[in-house]
Amino acid sequence: MRASDLRAARQVLAPRAASTRGGAASIARRLRLPLATPAALLGATLLALTAGAALFGPALAPYDPSVTVAAPYLAPSQQHWLGTNDVGQDIFSELLVGARVSLTIGLLAAFAAVTLGTAVGVLAGTARGWLDVVLMRITDVVLTLPFLPLVIVLAAFLGPSVATTATVLTLVIWARPARVVRSQALSVSAHAYVEAAHALGGRPSHVLRTHVLPAVLPVALSQFIVAVSGAVLAEASLAFLGLGDPLQKSWGTILFYAQTRGAFLTGSWPWWVLPPGLAIAATVLGFALVGRSLEGALMPRVRDHAGRTGR
Amino acid sequence: MHGLLGKVLQYGLVLWVALSVNFLLPRAMPGSPLPYLVGEEVGTLAPERLDEIRALYGLDRSLGVQYLDYLGDIVRGDWGRSFQLGMPVAEAIRERLPWTLLLVGSSLLLSTVFGVVAGAIAAWRRGGRFDAASLAGAIVVDALPSFWIGMLAIAVFAVQFGWFPTFGATTPAGPSGGVAYLADVARHLALPVASLTAASLSGIYLVMRYSMLDVLGQDYVRSARAKGLSERRVLMRHAVRNALLPVSTLLFLNLGFLVGGATVIETVFAYPGVGTLLYQAVLSRDYPVLQGAFFVLTVSVVLANALADAVYPLLDPRVRRGAT
Repeated sequence: MRASDLRAARQVLAPRAASTRGGAASIARRLRLPLATPAALLGATLLALTAGAALFGPALAPYDPSVTVAAPYLAPSQQHWLGTNDVGQDIFSELLVGARVSLTIGLLAAFAAVTLGTAVGVLAGTARGWLDVVLMRITDVVLTLPFLPLVIVLAAFLGPSVATTATVLTLVIWARPARVVRSQALSVSAHAYVEAAHALGGRPSHVLRTHVLPAVLPVALSQFIVAVSGAVLAEASLAFLGLGDPLQKSWGTILFYAQTRGAFLTGSWPWWVLPPGLAIAATVLGFALVGRSLEGALMPRVRDHAGRTGR
Repeated sequence: MHGLLGKVLQYGLVLWVALSVNFLLPRAMPGSPLPYLVGEEVGTLAPERLDEIRALYGLDRSLGVQYLDYLGDIVRGDWGRSFQLGMPVAEAIRERLPWTLLLVGSSLLLSTVFGVVAGAIAAWRRGGRFDAASLAGAIVVDALPSFWIGMLAIAVFAVQFGWFPTFGATTPAGPSGGVAYLADVARHLALPVASLTAASLSGIYLVMRYSMLDVLGQDYVRSARAKGLSERRVLMRHAVRNALLPVSTLLFLNLGFLVGGATVIETVFAYPGVGTLLYQAVLSRDYPVLQGAFFVLTVSVVLANALADAVYPLLDPRVRRGAT
């Protein structure tokens, strides 16, 4: 992000930040972060929790979640905070270790997808002409195909593994960022200063680097954060359908076993079904809230127009 | 004219890509494509049976010929055969499709009604208690995995309270006709529909609220108020009517989302639709069924999109005039 963008974000946030009270909000204000709304603060808190679990979860987990450590179907106790699953693995440990798997796939897929989408969007938006038409046709085809069934078919053929899941999600997610980035690239290219740069004989690569990319990157960043929440949710669905890596249990995989063993038909759902779902929800919500706040701060016109960020 | 042609081209492209993905996937896999075309029990078949199957799929001919044959078969309604189910893929899907249509159709209807009403009220009372609560609720529900909503619904309303059945679309050996049958179907449908509706409601609500806020800020709404129309009349005749336009496009586009949501929701409730068929095909690696289900879901999404394009001009006279 460049200084000019930060300045713009600051100006937008200034009146709001001044009216917000509270310790964390004032810290965010002092750091000039677009976190001065309660929604963004909640999102950042959730993200910090998830990131903490992903970083330290495997070290903190009391047991190895891939090993039978007790009798199956135990209720929560001092030794096993969330009881044990159908083969006697510690569910609390599964949850902590699963954070890393879920988040890794989400981040990987979103990063690859937004990189690809940004490349396509910038190319289409600056080249225009037939290349633009062709690229946007492809983008629209991907957007029209039913997302989950397509992902299921691809994953079923390619076999369950972390790499497969991330690849498959990338192939489907890139289209939306491509559309958004293209429209941003188009609107930037239409500005007088960019036209002037062209007219003054600036090489296309130079104009791209100095004018188009800086304007596009903040948009790509917010698209990335929104894409992570989508990818985490989609990964959970895939794993839930039995297409997750059986050796790298994510939160969705825990729910897959809970489903196939009928956990919700027994009394064990409060500690077997509830926690992984809450963990997924917290992660998705965290990314969604932060993404929306960033979008509002970086594209003030969208926010003012839509009144989205909690007004 | 140009717009219509473009749309037809676009939908043709989508179907063609879906078919080509289906054609290429089994053939791009390392090793023989036979397990992917027939199923994994191919290893247990006798050699002469294998040759028969190879000839049936034309695997001895060039890829181009295979491809044309494949497209021709799909058009003629021959979608391959599931050796695991022991029936043609098209027939297996035809059996399941009505249940999915019932589930997706009911959820579409309910989420539209609730989403539009809640979105309109929230925008009208912007910043009020309902607005704040519903907006927060929508954003939170948006983050929940839809299958998880279904699992909790079963645990609480079916098992804990015993109000609804836990799985299936009808009671085995239950009533087969009349009002009793319909009541049975409705009881089985209630929880899956409620879960899918909950999962798709927030999207419609957010767009309606957004669109309504936009419309309420327009000059013609101010004029309507200024000329002394009652608030009710301003809302119904001027604001809601116009705010519905973007929502109507979203509805059809939402179908892709609903179809995906139905896949996981049906799995949770063992509801006998195309989604459960897809899931069972995943578990048993029944690739022909997997591809058939994917294709039929793509067709339904494309049809819904085409319907949206056909209906939109009827709702928005500006588009109608522009099109002629």
